[in-house]
Amino acid sequence: MLWLNLLINGLIWGCALGMVAISFSLIFATTRFFHVAPAAVYSLGGYLAWSMMKRGAPEWVALLGAVVACGLVGAAIQKLLYERLDRRGATHLVVLIASLGLAAVMQNAIAGAYTSNVLQFGLPWANRTTSIGGALLTNTQMLTVCFGVLSYLGAMWFAHRTLLGKRIRAVASNPFLAEITRLEPRRVHIAVMAIGSAMVCIPGVLVPLDLGLQPFGGVPMLLTATIAVIAGGVGSISGAFLLALVIAVLQNLSLLVMPGEWSIGITFGIFIIFMLFRPRGLFTG
Amino acid sequence: MDFFATYLALAEIYVLLGLSTNLLVGIVGIFSVSQAAVFGVGAYITAFLLMHSSTPFPLAILVAAGLCILLNILVTLPSLRVSGDYFVVTSFGIQLLGTAVFTNWTKGTGGANGLPGVPAPIILGHEFIEPQEFLLLSSIGMGLGCLCFWLIMRAPFGGLLRAIREDELAVAALGKSVLRAKVSAAALAGAFAGSAGGLYATFLSFIDPSSFDLDASIFLLTMVVVGGARTLAGSVLGPFVLLALPQILALIDIPASFAAALRQLIYGLLLIVFMLFRPQGLLGERL
Repeated sequence: MLWLNLLINGLIWGCALGMVAISFSLIFATTRFFHVAPAAVYSLGGYLAWSMMKRGAPEWVALLGAVVACGLVGAAIQKLLYERLDRRGATHLVVLIASLGLAAVMQNAIAGAYTSNVLQFGLPWANRTTSIGGALLTNTQMLTVCFGVLSYLGAMWFAHRTLLGKRIRAVASNPFLAEITRLEPRRVHIAVMAIGSAMVCIPGVLVPLDLGLQPFGGVPMLLTATIAVIAGGVGSISGAFLLALVIAVLQNLSLLVMPGEWSIGITFGIFIIFMLFRPRGLFTG
Repeated sequence: MDFFATYLALAEIYVLLGLSTNLLVGIVGIFSVSQAAVFGVGAYITAFLLMHSSTPFPLAILVAAGLCILLNILVTLPSLRVSGDYFVVTSFGIQLLGTAVFTNWTKGTGGANGLPGVPAPIILGHEFIEPQEFLLLSSIGMGLGCLCFWLIMRAPFGGLLRAIREDELAVAALGKSVLRAKVSAAALAGAFAGSAGGLYATFLSFIDPSSFDLDASIFLLTMVVVGGARTLAGSVLGPFVLLALPQILALIDIPASFAAALRQLIYGLLLIVFMLFRPQGLLGERL
């Protein structure tokens, strides 16, 4: 029954990955830039929550506080860095290099402040298990699934039913038209970065509950999520979430035949296959 | 004197890497963070050939450079075919995959402990052990690299690469193959990085994955950005400036674990500051 356990693990991990993928999909589809910095925001969220809990804040306050803080950090990044570059007519390449620089600064600031050793949350309730249909799930894992599904449904509702969501989709589909119809793409970009950064913070807190905190854990996570977004079709939230689940399951099932260190190879292999046979992704017309 | 010679030799090796990064990022405008991984492949292949066979040093470097060319062609083809943007993912992927191989394939690479005892280069019976002697080799390597870069920039091929950066569609409309030019540039970058790897491995006689990880790639990018993208002078200046930085930091009394983070933080900060206020770097052209 090893494969069943791996399958379940894959689905849980996929929910965490899915949240990162939705966040990246939202940001990438709207701004058309590859932001690397959310990899650092992911790490930042976990560390902020950890610090708040160590100072005696209840778990839900810490999570909420970290999410809000990450949202503000995302808005600040957009306002102070990307928007400035945009006003100077910077090319994609320049923004990308600045984004990479920012990720390096944030991750190393975290490593400097907290050391790069793995930090554990040490919450007794997080690892308590419940049996559901024969499979043992920890509370953290159940939380991850709940948040993952809620984030997906929330993102779908937000994008299609709310005014801001519609504005974001309008800016994403045609920035020029959005500009002349006074949809104010610059403000929309700030909102998108805030929402995306807040969302990437949720798995940033939940995953370390199980695995512990590491300053540099965000990069492989973001890369995998990016591949899910591209394979799912840029702009499709469902595609991003579904492919995140698929990739996570494949990564876990690959443990049956090879050791875990090579799972990045599986992910990258999936990307190459998509590049060769379906470069526009699954869910695009 | 030894200390200074070591600094110079290392800087010269990094000039080769700078040229490689500059060719991709500056000239063609393809963002890449996988240069360090290719550099590492070159280093490990050279080390393997010299340690486990009687391959002469020049041939070992040539093999390393050749395999790096092949590697770069294989990995760039699928994603460049689609869009330059997707190459970002490819380059992150290669970098992480490279680190995974260097760290986990213990049999071939010595794993995280590294690979000690890479023999010093021997050419025509002379062994280049001392840094001063090696300086001659690295200077030749750097000279050849610079000459090659300079010639390419003067040639029609260099013009084609710059044209692709400015307007891909116009180049395609003129009937030139954009993909072929891009992949050729990536292959050339692989040759530079691979031979730099060979020099690096034989110079230090010890290599480990930390020299070839994502941080190293960011360092290479910082070198090109600070020196100045798109020009030969920029790629030469960058490494000499940035390799002096750790020496300066070593003068300040801070714990070693903190120093590594601080160094990397400074590189990141330099990237942001230069992109915001001086995208052309010290001696380059505007990115």
